[in-house]
Amino acid sequence: MLPFIKPHPLQIVSKNLRHDLLDMVYKNGGHIGGSLSSIDLVTAIYFGNIFNFKRDHFVLSAGHLAPALYVVLANAGYFPKNFLDTYSSFNSLLQGHVSHDVPGVEYSSGSLGQGLSFACGLALGDKKRTTICLTSDGEHQEGQIWESLLFAKKYKLGNLINIVDFNQMQIDGPTSNIMPLDNLAAKYIQFGWTVTTVDGHNLHQIISALKNAKKSDFPNCIIAKTILGKGISFMENNFHYHDVKNLPEGLFNKAKSEL
Amino acid sequence: MIINSIRQSFGETLCKLAKTNKNIYVVNADLKSSLFLNNFAKKFPHRFIECGVAETNATGIAAGLAKTGKTVFLTSFACFSPAINWNTIKQSICYNNSNVKIIGSHAGLLSTDLGATHQMLEDIALMRSLPNMEVFSPLDALETAKIIKAVTFSKKPAYIRLVRPSTPNFFNPKLDFTIGKSHRLQSGKDITIIGHGPILEEAFQVQAKLNLDQKYKKISLEIINCSSIKPLDTATILKSVKKTGHLICLEDHQKNGGLGEAVASLILSNNLSCKFIHLAVDDKFGRSAKTYQELYDYYGIGVANLLSAVKRIL
Repeated sequence: MLPFIKPHPLQIVSKNLRHDLLDMVYKNGGHIGGSLSSIDLVTAIYFGNIFNFKRDHFVLSAGHLAPALYVVLANAGYFPKNFLDTYSSFNSLLQGHVSHDVPGVEYSSGSLGQGLSFACGLALGDKKRTTICLTSDGEHQEGQIWESLLFAKKYKLGNLINIVDFNQMQIDGPTSNIMPLDNLAAKYIQFGWTVTTVDGHNLHQIISALKNAKKSDFPNCIIAKTILGKGISFMENNFHYHDVKNLPEGLFNKAKSEL
Repeated sequence: MIINSIRQSFGETLCKLAKTNKNIYVVNADLKSSLFLNNFAKKFPHRFIECGVAETNATGIAAGLAKTGKTVFLTSFACFSPAINWNTIKQSICYNNSNVKIIGSHAGLLSTDLGATHQMLEDIALMRSLPNMEVFSPLDALETAKIIKAVTFSKKPAYIRLVRPSTPNFFNPKLDFTIGKSHRLQSGKDITIIGHGPILEEAFQVQAKLNLDQKYKKISLEIINCSSIKPLDTATILKSVKKTGHLICLEDHQKNGGLGEAVASLILSNNLSCKFIHLAVDDKFGRSAKTYQELYDYYGIGVANLLSAVKRIL
């Protein structure tokens, strides 16, 4: 008999966040594919009762995942939820790519590969706290990432967690075609990091990996296997949904019904 | 004239300041000795962060570290930082407004024998263009010490341009350096000469030559040390140009994006008209030589070039 695994209570939360995300992107456009693949990760980071962001640090290195972070921050009470309606509009606080002007955001990003270095700097300067960085798999094609991996090992940044949204898709197609990362976990291990691989849509697994990572003495990498566009059938693994402008009403309604 | 090393002045000043200011950190990219930071690293090993030959990562490290309340000096050669890492400076330092002071040493043609790849002639242009960034180019070792001290009291990102060889001291030790202020090194009535860095010494040589020339001996140059390139001391510059009506900008940097362009834009924006010559490297790469004078003459920024510009502009 298969054991019955109770869905994690945060599953409901992340389902509602997906609705907010879709509403926001339907109105204003945005990078929906990666936001849907990473939203369970951001949910676990903010609502998993593991970290306290009055002290701990969160760095979103893949700044185009701003929609995922913005809906989480709005639901966590950092700013009013109706701000989401103004996303990427003139005079809106919510810039297209994540900006530190938004309450709760510590680092502005958008140019890939930089956030992990910044996170290393935070982790080095604030050893008593945990620094969590969220990177995409595609941005591992940037050389700066590998420079920061060497650095984190040298300075024994055990208080650093890099969680990789490993959806294997990027703007122009599958990562395996554009520039294969092959065995990313093996590469991290070779660079002296502690590596855990999880199902990036299983909140039990994500939260348990984050909790374990917090206790480690080495820099920690969590490779979260995710699905681009997760939750909406026609977006899943479809790199054309990296970024959406003007989603037709019919597709929006279909997407809403699927969530 | 006393000759001192600008970069040595930097390393020693920082070490001195770090004794009392525990927030001062160095993030270095394998150029500790060249920047006279051996002592700093020995005295404050926990505040000396070595990143290896990886300037882009070092820039991100500096930015993150600064956000934990430190005053971070990011140290390398100008040809690498702010060059390899420009976009990380833009995003991680400037846009995030991180308290990082970028030290770009070995700038300009004064890195004589090293050749084009190491003669950084575009750093001012790269840094001037960034919002939040302040840009300084000290005249000599004395002013370097004052500038380093001044930037530690500011929370803003800054770029400080240093050079490789020892150079003459001009800065009046009684004067203070203030961000956004220029000093007149010599008052004059006929031609304003504005520049940054040790090259300004040429203006004194030219004045000496004019004094010996029957035809030109009454000509006096007003020499302005524009070490604060951004923000510019607009009042001092405009006042001088209004007075003389003749302006020569002199710099060991490309014309494109250099101080001369900043000053020209300032003059035009204030509806002033004056005769203007910009002596700088004109859209060319550097090259090796045994003495900097050979290079300055070749690129048209030597003493003879300045003298000829002075005669031409009148």
